[in-house]
Amino acid sequence: MNLIRRTITKSLKYRVFRPFYLLLAVILLCSHDLYIKMDTYFLKPNQEATLSLYNGTFENSENIIARDRMQDASILYQGNRLTVDASQWTDKDTTITQFKFTPIEAATYVAGVSTKARNIELTAEKFNNYLKHDGVLDMLEYRTDNDLLDQDAIERYEKHVKAIYQVGDVKTDDWKTVLGYPIEFVTLANPYEKYTGDKLEVQLLLDGAPLANQLVYADYIKVIHDHDHGHGHSHSHGDKKHKHDEGEHHHDEHKHEGKKHSHEHKHDDGKHSHEHDGKKHSHEHKHGDGEHSHEHEHEGKKHSHEHKHDDGEHSNEHDGKKHSHKHKHGDGAHSHTDKSKPEKDHSHTSGQQLRTNDQGIVSVNLPEDGIYYLRTIHMVSVTDSDELTHRSKWATLTFEVTHKHDDSTHTHDHDHEDGIPTWIFILGSVLIIALLFVVFRKKS
Amino acid sequence: MKHQHFRQALFLLLIFVPLLGFAHDVTSADQELLRNGGLWAYIRVGATHMLTGYDHLLFLTGVIFYLNNFIDILKFITVFTIGHCITLIGATYAGITANEHLVDAVIALSVLYKGFENLGGFEKLKVKSPNLLLMVGLFGLIHGFGLSTRLQSFDIGTEQFLVKILCFNLGVEVGQVLALIPIVFIITLSRKHKQFPAFYKAVNWYLVLAGIGLFVYQLYGYFNGYH
Repeated sequence: MNLIRRTITKSLKYRVFRPFYLLLAVILLCSHDLYIKMDTYFLKPNQEATLSLYNGTFENSENIIARDRMQDASILYQGNRLTVDASQWTDKDTTITQFKFTPIEAATYVAGVSTKARNIELTAEKFNNYLKHDGVLDMLEYRTDNDLLDQDAIERYEKHVKAIYQVGDVKTDDWKTVLGYPIEFVTLANPYEKYTGDKLEVQLLLDGAPLANQLVYADYIKVIHDHDHGHGHSHSHGDKKHKHDEGEHHHDEHKHEGKKHSHEHKHDDGKHSHEHDGKKHSHEHKHGDGEHSHEHEHEGKKHSHEHKHDDGEHSNEHDGKKHSHKHKHGDGAHSHTDKSKPEKDHSHTSGQQLRTNDQGIVSVNLPEDGIYYLRTIHMVSVTDSDELTHRSKWATLTFEVTHKHDDSTHTHDHDHEDGIPTWIFILGSVLIIALLFVVFRKKS
Repeated sequence: MKHQHFRQALFLLLIFVPLLGFAHDVTSADQELLRNGGLWAYIRVGATHMLTGYDHLLFLTGVIFYLNNFIDILKFITVFTIGHCITLIGATYAGITANEHLVDAVIALSVLYKGFENLGGFEKLKVKSPNLLLMVGLFGLIHGFGLSTRLQSFDIGTEQFLVKILCFNLGVEVGQVLALIPIVFIITLSRKHKQFPAFYKAVNWYLVLAGIGLFVYQLYGYFNGYH
């Protein structure tokens, strides 16, 4: 019975899921936007806040950010610019890098993070896919028009991200301060003086000058306040438990709840198993063309991973147990998928597709209450380098928008507010009681 | 003299009408109050919701009408309070919620039930009426769930979650005491009047009608998505 089940599972895995995962892997590979994300962008003075660096999509972070990648991390408020030291960042779930702080003064705050440039080498096909999925359409068009679609790429990329959040009720002008990043969004109004239904103009600066005719994508997630068991809001933060990063890649060390152990692989039959804290744990590998898959069973929950191994480092977390793999493989693409949490096919170009005008300005619609995120990738071809073919600068900006809290726009869903007016209810009740009283008095 | 007492009772009743109306107006800014007002805001909103939640007050009126002495009133109100505290705190903490209209429809039935019982409905149907203390406790649980559903419809944040629930609960109790003072006072005064039987019948028939009306209203809201 188990054999049949395993055969079916294997067949499904290789014939049905694998192509899907591979497609997804390509998409994932090409999509590591960086955002500064917060649970809420409305804080009270002395309320602890967490700035989370989401490296992946706005919904799911896939990588932490190594501290040595950070060129600058700053908090700006009331004209002061504080530098966040590398030691102040912590990693959560090996996927999200966080900085916790408690703003004391009421103001409009700006947070910024700028990363150092890195190189990535991509085959022509992967590069084209990445341009398409990440909306770098001008470069894709250029490659198409000039018959360059078959050319591999070595791209130098750097990411510069900002968030604007409001502490207390005091609105300050810090939102207009330019942090001086190589590429940067600067709003032309305080987002916290804008409300649902308004438009917000944002200027894009490249090396301090307005960047015209640049594609910018703006989207938002609705802020849904539902009380989960963690007793808070949930803002559709999908926590992925995977980490993809470039770096050394070993395959000989795991860590479970702080306990290190190692195991041996037999790579001829592609299978191996081991135990962690008495829990059986089996892996299946296929080390063909740089890909392999894992199957794990943690606390009775089976799930699997498929990998394409390049020069990456990754780690997983299952049921709260930390689990890291280090691999050393050849070059190539590297991605993970987790069957227990099917990935949504995501796009980085959802929402409003905008193009900056001559002054580098886009006008962003704010149709609903939510957390808004803007992203752009400015890419140019490099002709004067033997090492590089392209250079890109990525920028994102996040902020939250809510509706006006006055009587004219108040739309909270509370029955007693919108139902029967109390005075009508009470007046009606008194009249009915009086009428009934008269009737019963006459009867008696 | 007795006529004078009755007039005083009616006068007091009318005095509290605008007060309740005023208190209700505050709820339009509840969310904003909770966002900026700290823990005190939770006490205030809890009290406001109890004072303006006429379904809760109608049920309490029905309970008080049935009881003749202060000890009984204290006993029944305590049971009702324990009941609604359990579900208000428990359901909010655990994040258990339900459609507000359906919960409020059940609360409306509790009002209908109390009026029906006070009018001797069970005796007329020759059915033994359920244990009143038990029923008050049960309805207390339902009313608490209604209050919890209302509290959960607000954005109450992640910090000091339990403390905020407890503050809201404290506010509910404060509101309940404030509401009970005039209710007990009016009913106590009216008992001394010779027209009390007619008043008793009028109020309890009103509870039956109000229970039916609120029940229909909530079902209408449920099926038509009216908020």
